[in-house]
Amino acid sequence: MIKQFSILVLLACLSFRCDQKEKEAPEAEKAVIPDTVKNQQPDKSVNPYASVDVSPMDMSYFPVDYPKLKMANANIPPPVVRLIYSRPHLQRRHLFNGILKYDEAWRLGANEASEITFYKPVSIQGKKIPAGRYILYGIPHIDKWTIILNSNIDSWGLKQDSTKDAGRFDVSILTSDISLEYFTMVFEKTETGADLVIAWADIVARLPITL
Amino acid sequence: MKKNAFLFLWALLTSFAAMAQSGLPEVDKSPMDMCYYPAQYPNLKTQDRKTDPLTARVIYSRPKKEGRQVFGGLVEYGKLWRLGANEATEIEFYRPVIIGGKKIVKGRYTLYAIVNENSWTFIINKETDVWGSFKYSQAKDAVRIDVPVQALKESIESLVMNFEKENQTIKLVVAWENVKVALPISL
Repeated sequence: MIKQFSILVLLACLSFRCDQKEKEAPEAEKAVIPDTVKNQQPDKSVNPYASVDVSPMDMSYFPVDYPKLKMANANIPPPVVRLIYSRPHLQRRHLFNGILKYDEAWRLGANEASEITFYKPVSIQGKKIPAGRYILYGIPHIDKWTIILNSNIDSWGLKQDSTKDAGRFDVSILTSDISLEYFTMVFEKTETGADLVIAWADIVARLPITL
Repeated sequence: MKKNAFLFLWALLTSFAAMAQSGLPEVDKSPMDMCYYPAQYPNLKTQDRKTDPLTARVIYSRPKKEGRQVFGGLVEYGKLWRLGANEATEIEFYRPVIIGGKKIVKGRYTLYAIVNENSWTFIINKETDVWGSFKYSQAKDAVRIDVPVQALKESIESLVMNFEKENQTIKLVVAWENVKVALPISL
């Protein structure tokens, strides 16, 4: 009983300390981040410059693994596309009961807005996309997802400016029998170019890119 | 309590198993990260806050010390080091800058270092979209600059980079283990 009580007291102290820490956070870091929660395996050490993100950043190229291909062949032509995004994880939450909401914009990542760079012009659902850098966000619906390219680069993912949309594309979704813990975006080669595969929990959406 | 720990482990293992089954990439052991000058630029921009003009961005992966000796061990003195992990560390300038007295035109570059006990040589190279430093070519260097090493009292577990401003000079601070160095960038 005493042991249980002391655990309670300890937890109370810890939660109090957490609250205090949040209050001390600088204004810029106060933005609410609904798609990230406390990491279960954090680098807990003190880092006075920048702690390691709960939702780690990652990078995907097409051709897939382009930097490695370039290591094997210095004369390879430039890449087609590169994506930089952060990877939130479920951590025992449900995707549509705690993280995402139907019909509400989602940043397709975490932290900085997900960024996609086309090294050459491509076409998506018949629309020409000039070479250049864009950010990516989406709107999940119950039966399809809308994937949006937007020109407001170097921005934070929480507030989208739809006046800067460069293209909106509806894609159908599939339900997988495998559930992914971490949000994942990769490119997969197709006959006409590449699919941007967007997957989290048991949902898989594909945005076909034509070269 | 024990049951909870077991459930947690089971959940963890099954999630890893799911990742392996799907054929999609798992989360990197050395996670990627990004820093801007001005620091927190995307966040501030999205809040419509005034900042210095957008100047630079670094994208790098963050290996952990994990009990190893980093400098003089994992990172050998006097040898080229990729200053990160996985994809080569990338530094992008959104405007022309001056590094080591040399004018650097705006654009993307890769960033490497040669680490010694008392000084580091930072290398900014023009070859981008590459993996690590395995095919590094000195012929494509944009500039090299030597900077002194500063000792830190506390050990830093994960490699970290961050932009700071001192007087009119921007510094890219790099810190890991008990060492901190700063790459000066002038406008």
